[in-house]
Amino acid sequence: MLEIKDLHKRFGDTLALDGVSLSAAPGEVVGFVGANGAGKTTTMRIAMGVLAADSGQIVYDGAPLGVEQRRRFGYMPSERGLYPKMKTGEQVAYFGELHGMSKTEARRSAGELLEQLNLTDRAGDFVQDLSLGNQQRVQLAVSLVHDPEVLILDEPFSGLDPIAVDVMGAALRDRAAAGAPVIFSSHQLDLIERLCDSVSIIGNGKIIAAGGVEELKAKEVKQLRVSVETDEDLTGRLPGTVTRDGDDYLVEDSPDDQEVLRIAAAAGRITRFAYDQPTIAEIFREAVTR
Amino acid sequence: MTAQRNQARHDETSRMRGLMLVAGREIRVRGLSKSNVISLIVTVLIVGVLAALPSLFGGDDGDEKIGLAGPTAAAMQTQLDAMGGFDVTVFDSAGEAEQAVEDETVEAAVADGSLYSRDGVGNETEAKIDAAWQAASVQTNLASAGLSDQEIAGALTVQPLEWVTLESEGGVTGPLDYFTGLIISVIMFMMLMTPVQYIAMGVVEEKSSRIVEILLTSLKPWQLLGGKVIGLGVISLVNLIAMVAVGLGVSAATGMLSDLPPGTASAAVSTIGWWLIAFALFGTLAGGVGSLVSRQEESGSVLTPLIMSLTLSYLGAIFLLNAPTSTFAEVLSIVPPFSGIAMPTRMAIADVPAWQIGLSGVLLALAAAGALALGSQLYKRSVLYTGSRMKISEALRRSA
Repeated sequence: MLEIKDLHKRFGDTLALDGVSLSAAPGEVVGFVGANGAGKTTTMRIAMGVLAADSGQIVYDGAPLGVEQRRRFGYMPSERGLYPKMKTGEQVAYFGELHGMSKTEARRSAGELLEQLNLTDRAGDFVQDLSLGNQQRVQLAVSLVHDPEVLILDEPFSGLDPIAVDVMGAALRDRAAAGAPVIFSSHQLDLIERLCDSVSIIGNGKIIAAGGVEELKAKEVKQLRVSVETDEDLTGRLPGTVTRDGDDYLVEDSPDDQEVLRIAAAAGRITRFAYDQPTIAEIFREAVTR
Repeated sequence: MTAQRNQARHDETSRMRGLMLVAGREIRVRGLSKSNVISLIVTVLIVGVLAALPSLFGGDDGDEKIGLAGPTAAAMQTQLDAMGGFDVTVFDSAGEAEQAVEDETVEAAVADGSLYSRDGVGNETEAKIDAAWQAASVQTNLASAGLSDQEIAGALTVQPLEWVTLESEGGVTGPLDYFTGLIISVIMFMMLMTPVQYIAMGVVEEKSSRIVEILLTSLKPWQLLGGKVIGLGVISLVNLIAMVAVGLGVSAATGMLSDLPPGTASAAVSTIGWWLIAFALFGTLAGGVGSLVSRQEESGSVLTPLIMSLTLSYLGAIFLLNAPTSTFAEVLSIVPPFSGIAMPTRMAIADVPAWQIGLSGVLLALAAAGALALGSQLYKRSVLYTGSRMKISEALRRSA
């Protein structure tokens, strides 16, 4: 269990984090969402120890996170970086060694990852000679090479081509399935919705909404959507505030949804009867404008 | 299961391992790079050629070919052999000796009280031949006066003058010469300038490519900076040793080694010691100031003070060669960072009192320790900062 507890951080006059708390249980994929400058990167940097918090702490498995444990984490910073004048295979293996692998282990792991990413034939090339897309893949290999126990990824999907997005998504789910807590930030909310078990939304250095994806959606349920094959206009007859969306009836604030069902069934064949769930994108928009 | 395996795997990763991994990467990527290998080969070739030059121009191992004839020939040969530097041929008659000079078989000949040469001999050779002639003549005269060989030897044994230098502090009585001092200062300058620039470039490269953020999740700033300094230090040391080895090797092969002033080897060893301390000083500072900028183009501006003080140290050392006993020389060779180049240079050309060497070494080491602290603080505080160039005072005010 990785817990980020009550982080505060000030840069000069700017209060970047104002009591941010966030946690990821083993096997849980947590999406970290927020507008630019909301404090995502600062939170992740503090969690990875590249930045010191003014107050607050990072707890891993019940104890304050230490350097040795942190080395077993996998991290991808939002600003990507590789040694331009180092060979691809050598570079990935080097990071494996930095994370504590033996030379042989690191080489084997680097070789496997490069193969998964279709980069085996570029292993001997300098990173600066690769295309940007391929450099992104190498970056991914660097963050996964040491078989990390915890993943903290800042915008891991930005700039990835579709194949790399799939590889990255699969890697996140694999790691989570193996019991690793995973936290990643993204502006691609459809990906968050697809991959995450829970979401934390940050705005102006504070967590403004957090919870399981399904739980959040249920909480923000909007209206009942009803499609009926009938020539009759049911607008006036259904209880509650009724509007039309194409041929569908949207029923809000209905005192009795069973009554709605009964009236609709009497009018004709029901092809759809369900509560509309908001997308994470809608929840996010609503949360930040609140 | 996985966690246990990981635990075991990560436990063996000590702090030193991180440091050595960083150093190893520098050595692999920079030391074994094509450009470094080529420049090393070229430098070694130049050193080899320079070392071989004296013998190429001096020819015949530098020994003067001298012909001897007449009754004093045997005594002259004993004297000349004792002096060394002569290849003596004894002829049966003065005529044959003269002919040998004509034929250029020998450069000069001494026979029947005359010195034959084609167009004169060098001053030094002349003085030596003259001295040998005097001694040989005295010996011959004494023998003809009826003295035994033992008596002659006794009469000719003269105690050499004992040198008493009143201004012994810093007097130019050192065993090595100007040329050695010059070589030491040039090599020290080169061996500091190049790696110092590489360290700063390396730091800026990691900053500008943003890789430093990933590195810092598994390494401490001191490991990252220290590893870089050690790595480039090893590369420079290998270059230095290769140069010295080739230089001495070629000298040995061409028979010039014995002609080098005594103490050359010890000077080479002590120079390496001075270099290590000076490198620690300049190297860590270079890393520290390198971290103040985010772009390679800006690294020149922050490095200027370091390069200036290196250049001044070098120029000071050159000046010192011409006035090794001056107060200026004494001060320069004691005050860091100038002492890094000045002291080994001064030691090569003059006798330096032990207390001055000790003081200079201690001060330089203290300065290096200070630089280590300052450099790593600067590095720690500014390495993650990106944007315009940071002032040193600003970096030190920041929290890490």
